[in-house]
Amino acid sequence: MKRQQRIKLILFLVFLMASVAFAILFPRLTVPFGFAYIIYLMSRPLTLRLTKGTAKQRWIYIVLIISLICFSLFPLIATLYNFDTDFGELSRQLPEAQKLLQEKFFIFKVKVFERFGIRLNLDPVTYLMAKVESEGAVLLGRVPDYLSAIFEWLLLVPMFLYFFFVESRKFNTKFLEGIPNPIFEKTYVLFTQFNTKFGEYIMAKFIEATILGTLVTIGLLINDFPYPFLLGFVAAVTNILPYIGPLIGVVPAVLIVFLSNNPSAGLLGVAVVYTVANLIDMILIFPLLVSKIVNLHPIIVVVSIIIGSQVGGILGMIVIIPFIAFFKLLFKEVYKDLSVNL
Amino acid sequence: MSYEKDAMEKIARGEALPEKLDIPLLKYMWESSPISFHKKESYHDFFRKISVLNSFSDNEVRLFTKFLHRREFTTNEVVFKQGDSGYGFYFIFSGAVNVYSSHLSQPDDVGEFIIRLEKMQYFGEMGLLEDFNRRSASVTAAENTVLLGIFKPDLDRMLKLYPVVGAKFLRETALIMANRMGQITREIVGLKKRIKELEQRV
Repeated sequence: MKRQQRIKLILFLVFLMASVAFAILFPRLTVPFGFAYIIYLMSRPLTLRLTKGTAKQRWIYIVLIISLICFSLFPLIATLYNFDTDFGELSRQLPEAQKLLQEKFFIFKVKVFERFGIRLNLDPVTYLMAKVESEGAVLLGRVPDYLSAIFEWLLLVPMFLYFFFVESRKFNTKFLEGIPNPIFEKTYVLFTQFNTKFGEYIMAKFIEATILGTLVTIGLLINDFPYPFLLGFVAAVTNILPYIGPLIGVVPAVLIVFLSNNPSAGLLGVAVVYTVANLIDMILIFPLLVSKIVNLHPIIVVVSIIIGSQVGGILGMIVIIPFIAFFKLLFKEVYKDLSVNL
Repeated sequence: MSYEKDAMEKIARGEALPEKLDIPLLKYMWESSPISFHKKESYHDFFRKISVLNSFSDNEVRLFTKFLHRREFTTNEVVFKQGDSGYGFYFIFSGAVNVYSSHLSQPDDVGEFIIRLEKMQYFGEMGLLEDFNRRSASVTAAENTVLLGIFKPDLDRMLKLYPVVGAKFLRETALIMANRMGQITREIVGLKKRIKELEQRV
């Protein structure tokens, strides 16, 4: 390799490393940037179709961004509007719930003593409630921070998104021109595959979660179960996490059942609704939408989610899967090249 | 159908043309027009001279050029090596390249010189069509060279966005492959004939 080419390659690698360092050092900027990029990739198939052969591209982008802002503002405003009422309701219900749980745990202790002769000297309910109260207070104290972060995002994400819509082609061309010749073909193909896989995966998961949430809501409405919309929303959000998501999603419904006066009656309904919804997801939706995009072994998926949660919390858990799929692709390409050259 | 013809038909049908002037399109048309004083050869002029895109209209050539990547190579710089994974098809916009092929699988072995390809010629079409393509020869720049490359993701995108242009380009690429196959078959027949003659002499 010539000296000039070597310098170009080193400069490109330095640029990449500097970008990664910038992303780590300034998360307040790079997280909304990344979020906007994800939305851009998700909406790209739609925007390409909408803007094909029209001179009014910018207007289409603006309308899309405004719709997106309205779509995300609605749940935020609804939550803030009901915040006082919901919080008051929760504060009133907590002591009742604590009392009920303590009664149930006392019955359980008596049954254990009668059957096994073991005396349980535990009081997990009091511990749990104290924990909920302290964590709740901390969470409440952070509400202003969360609100300011949300409003910051509401400003930055649309701005970055508009930049991606309008300037992405120019930006892509410049970036691709900077890739040194010896690694251009492979880098370009991998970069495109990553973008496509990433966008398709997030979009597929979004559609899958929406369908599952709707199914759960409808099922709970038919069963006349309390909080059907909230539980449907929780089921949809937790479903984004593969394998463990559906299990986490059912927990709030089960808790509500156990805190009710007649647990056995409600449990059957909840079990049927969640099982049917998840079976439809597993048999129909997942194979059609998601499995072809990320062809990963279940163990790799579970391990990746644990790593993702440690590195980047909930967002990390969601985005880690397409990243791992990309690294699998990268590893396969490198291995293919090595096996030819050896 | 050309852009002008399309516009004229729209006017004849009473359909509205875009309200705003599409400046990049006008710039492109001006640069590619024969009366333009633009000294530099445009991609449009270049592709109008290449037989591969003979069946393309002006507007189709314009759309096709949107998917190209300009790559600049200095003298003796490697474009790709024999055995590398292949993903793209290159047109020589300026300069020239040398093609080498080797029977040995040593990494430093460049191989025997096969042919020099000049401006307006093309190479690497197998990389665009085959799924797990390995380059069958090495290519290096014989002088300072500009190549216009189109790669697998570009072809996929083109087929999605402009299916007619994509299908036409695929047909032309298949024709190139068919011609090369025909050429190889004729060479094999010739070689077999020659072997037979040599065997009879022995």
